[in-house]
Amino acid sequence: MTDVTADAMPARRQGSGLLRLLLSNEFGLAVLIAVAFGTFALTLPGFTSPFSLFTIGRQIGIDTMIGLAMMAVIVTGGLDLSVGAIGVCAAMVFGWLAQAMGVPLPIAVPMAILFGASLGFINGYAVVRSGVHSFIITLASMSIFFGIMIFLTKAQAFNQLPPEVTQFGKTRLFGMVSVLLVITLVVCVALSIFYRFTTLGRQMLAAGANPRAAELSGIRTGRVITACHMLTGALAALAGLMLTARTGAAVPSMAGHLGQDWLLPAFLAPVLGGTLLSGGRVSVIGTLLGAAFVTIMTSGLLLMRVGEFWILACLGLILLAAVLTDRLRQGVLRKRGLI
Amino acid sequence: MNRLFDNDWVGPALVCLVAVVGISILQPSFLSPFNILVLLSAIAVNMVIALGQLVIIAIGQMNLALGAFGGLVAICFVAVMELYGVPPVIALLIGLAIGTAAGAASGFVIARTGISAFIITLAGLQIFKGINLGITEAQPFYGVPQSVKDFGNHAIFGPIPWLIVPMIIASVGMWYLFNRLRIGRYILAVGGNRTAAELSGINITATIIWAHAISGLLAAIAGMMLVARLQIGQPTIGDDWLISSFAAPVIGGAVLAGGHVSVAGTFFGVVIIAIITQALVLFAIDPFVVQIVLGALILWAVGINRYREIRVAKLNEAR
Repeated sequence: MTDVTADAMPARRQGSGLLRLLLSNEFGLAVLIAVAFGTFALTLPGFTSPFSLFTIGRQIGIDTMIGLAMMAVIVTGGLDLSVGAIGVCAAMVFGWLAQAMGVPLPIAVPMAILFGASLGFINGYAVVRSGVHSFIITLASMSIFFGIMIFLTKAQAFNQLPPEVTQFGKTRLFGMVSVLLVITLVVCVALSIFYRFTTLGRQMLAAGANPRAAELSGIRTGRVITACHMLTGALAALAGLMLTARTGAAVPSMAGHLGQDWLLPAFLAPVLGGTLLSGGRVSVIGTLLGAAFVTIMTSGLLLMRVGEFWILACLGLILLAAVLTDRLRQGVLRKRGLI
Repeated sequence: MNRLFDNDWVGPALVCLVAVVGISILQPSFLSPFNILVLLSAIAVNMVIALGQLVIIAIGQMNLALGAFGGLVAICFVAVMELYGVPPVIALLIGLAIGTAAGAASGFVIARTGISAFIITLAGLQIFKGINLGITEAQPFYGVPQSVKDFGNHAIFGPIPWLIVPMIIASVGMWYLFNRLRIGRYILAVGGNRTAAELSGINITATIIWAHAISGLLAAIAGMMLVARLQIGQPTIGDDWLISSFAAPVIGGAVLAGGHVSVAGTFFGVVIIAIITQALVLFAIDPFVVQIVLGALILWAVGINRYREIRVAKLNEAR
């Protein structure tokens, strides 16, 4: 499992491999998922019904995509508060193209993703040129993107999309696997390959781990950081499109006020999965597992009738518990000299 | 002259002046007593919110949970009055205690674990907002006593609202904190250079907890001011504080890396935002444009601050 974790600076491998695996974030998450899933499956009737598995898989697909979007920019040690705003903007552009302009779907989808990437480019360009931390730049741009979108759409949804969109969101493979989850898995594999084997991917990790060293070794850090923001924009757009397919409409409020509702899933999945907020290390599989864990917990708690209002507080506690456990894990690893 | 312009608050103050003159020429009703009353009420609440973020910016961190603190305090404030008949003064103290405790708790976790404030306060945002929704089930509390409603909607005299009073107390208090009190100095020192602060014997953990506790206290004050103004315990109070709480200090010249803040600058930042919001209403422009303008203002202020930094660096080189 550690193989899929891309690391800018390969850790010293002399430690015990098995212990390292057992203490890895991904392994811990996999165990947690198994325990949570097993408990819910045994105690909650209907949790493992094909329809329930389908909705859980669909949610995992969307949340993972949101998490991957944030992960792509956390790599640089930055962050992007505007993921939700970009996702909604791209979904609305898609809705406008597909519904109002009658653009065929095979063209509308790439155009929406491209639009997301170009919004990401604006973020990246502003961050690199101003030298201001991405927190404040994307705080401003989330307000601007969302404001322009609401202004142009007059807060109206596009709800007469071509029927294929809704149909796509409902598609099940083998009766229980959402096609949205399959898309996410494909993107996960592609991103793993990207970070591990391509020059640009390696450069992103290097620029995130140590920008000065990367600059000195000939990487044009500015361009690489801009590329990271563009990747974030594209993935956020994809998440927005997936959400549109699930809802069957492009709704301006689908990510909450200013797209803030995406912030928690966006940070929860990568942080649970062991992506370092300081940059330089990503874990694609960890992000997937993180999103899976959160979704399974949420669905289970909902089925237990915890009340959807308390779910929010539970997710916050999970995030808190996750970062605290991670601290503990690192402490153990350090004591044993494994990192 | 140049030294005057090096003050953080002069630029924003000039912008305010130009905006007030310009708008009142185009739209004389801008200076009507009623409009001034509304404007000052908005400024009063937003200033306290901005101060709550300012103290965290001073220490070089950020508080995403500010609005969640304010919202939770707001509904608890009304809930104890409505459900248990607690007198407003006691309810006020309970609210202040909840806000301070929530802030201190998040400060404690940040300081003791060393995990970034961003993540901890993001978790805090969900937890406190979740508790808020869990208690209210998204329904407002209506049982606000008349005295509280009057406080939020009556004027002391002329167009000066009572809400100005807590704002002035909070502003003077924060100015005093940063300029005269040891803990304020410690907060700025930790924000400016944590290692140096630690080496000179400052208790980092205590300072961070203090900063977050003060932030929680201010969020609590702002939340209860909003209850008084809206006359209802809305669970959505605090949802839209995030952007404006950063915009005002940044426009006022706060350095986000920490160590440098300006209470006066923040005040004029708040005034600029309030004037623009009002002007858009007066000229009947789509209220959603406010979001775009707010974002653009942040970028503009960041650009100005950056330009000043570069200029100062060049001046220092020339010497």
